Amino acid sequence: MPRIFWVTCPHCSKRFYCHYEDLRHTKWELRCPYCERQFPQESSPRIEE
Amino acid sequence: MAPTKSSPTRPAPEGFAAFSLRSFIERLEREHPDQVVHVTEPVDPARFEVTAVLKHLELRRKYPLVVFDRPLNLLGQPSLLPIATNIYATRERCAMALGLRPQDAMVGLSLEYARREEQRVAPEIVSEEDAPVKEVVRTGDQVDLRELPIVRHHDMDAGPYIDMTSVMRDPDSGAYNAAFLRNMYKGPRKLGLHMSPRHNWQIVRKHELKDEATPVAIVVSHHPAFYIGSLNVAPFGVDDYALIGAMFERPLRLTPSTTWGEKFMIPADADLVLEGHVLPNVREVEGPFGEFPGTYGPQRVRWVVELTASNQRSDAMYQDVFVGHPDNWMMGSFPKEGSIYNRIKGVVPSVKGVHLPTSAVGRFHCYISIDKRVDGESKQAALIALGACDFVKHVVVVDGDIDPFREEEVLWAIATRVQADEDVDILKNVKGSTLDPSQRDDIMGAKMIIDATRPVRRPFEARIEIPAEAMARVELERLIPREQLGRI
Repeated sequence: MPRIFWVTCPHCSKRFYCHYEDLRHTKWELRCPYCERQFPQESSPRIEE
Repeated sequence: MAPTKSSPTRPAPEGFAAFSLRSFIERLEREHPDQVVHVTEPVDPARFEVTAVLKHLELRRKYPLVVFDRPLNLLGQPSLLPIATNIYATRERCAMALGLRPQDAMVGLSLEYARREEQRVAPEIVSEEDAPVKEVVRTGDQVDLRELPIVRHHDMDAGPYIDMTSVMRDPDSGAYNAAFLRNMYKGPRKLGLHMSPRHNWQIVRKHELKDEATPVAIVVSHHPAFYIGSLNVAPFGVDDYALIGAMFERPLRLTPSTTWGEKFMIPADADLVLEGHVLPNVREVEGPFGEFPGTYGPQRVRWVVELTASNQRSDAMYQDVFVGHPDNWMMGSFPKEGSIYNRIKGVVPSVKGVHLPTSAVGRFHCYISIDKRVDGESKQAALIALGACDFVKHVVVVDGDIDPFREEEVLWAIATRVQADEDVDILKNVKGSTLDPSQRDDIMGAKMIIDATRPVRRPFEARIEIPAEAMARVELERLIPREQLGRI
């Protein structure tokens, strides 16, 4: 399993996780699988890594 | 939405009807009615209602093939295509899909798979007029994935996913490669594609180095033997269409694709084939998706597919695999068992059986039984299994008196024939599976060998047995009333 980080969606507050090398500290907007909205990771209220 | 081309329903030549998904299910219902259930009420696959039904059945330890007769499509309207799923959830049905008897579903199935995997049967080319998959053809903007009953499987999944086989063609050798790849719904003609670094990944990479799009045909629905054949572990460059023909034991019928004509052939007897391009050097976020280990693969930056055409039978069914559950685990197990068996056989001829149990997702544990003649043979067999299949993490080798398909016997052998300080070996930094959630490295993991065989060179206590003669003499039905036997 690659390294992951958990992220909390700033819109719906649900948590999901992402591939660390692909996405952490990048400009990619993350997409919440629950509310389907996209957001820059800096806007997440909580990132667990 | 009118199809650009539609020919009247033309029955396939005699015999070929037996190689459609619908005919497989009809035959199953006729000969083994206990194997199939129909859900006749409407269900919404995009709101987890298909997988909720399957999970309820699983909790009751019921694993039928399930046909959802009235699913909704992604527009929330009744879909024209029923869903067939959980097809591979029992070894018996997998055996029947290959034309074997249900009673041959254990070691017989894995050995027969291994035998057929060694064969090649060249495909047969048929005209588009003779191809059932060409009964309804749509191109360009006429393609609309929202008309399909695409399944959203698990809570954290990023959306509905098509989780069947994608076919690509190696630009150098011309060989076709078929592999199960997840495709996330992203728009009416757009999918997000995930690949691990295996064969299709290599094909896309070759195209991307030239900044070219990669043609891909997503075979969403076909006879189960097509998918079982696509699970082969043959080396890169082997033409999977020829290998799938070997699984059918007759040529796989192919027809020119709608997008690329004879430059890219598609299965003529499929129910539904989507055509498109993997866009070169284009990436978007994709996932999470509930994967085979029963955990979610993380959100990643992955490839994008733009669809160009769809081809389907006029009475097409939509197929789905219940990934991360027995439907997925069973189909992942026996194709590897046969290959591992054959490799061990070449070195340890007394191997009796190889089993990748569903309790370990059909991949991570490997039980091997051998009639050990000399000490050390058991570890030799285990090392071959680890070398043959990088999915395998833990190998348990048992004696020939233990049936590797009866897990309680394997655990009994571990309980009674293993001393951990002598009989367990750990290997570090070996290639594993990127989807194994316990693995700390992206690529490498640890492997374990448990030698649960008795020693050859020192006396060992015997297993308790009822004399075989007594077992044969005593008939249960003669001694216990049938109604009591049926009740217990």
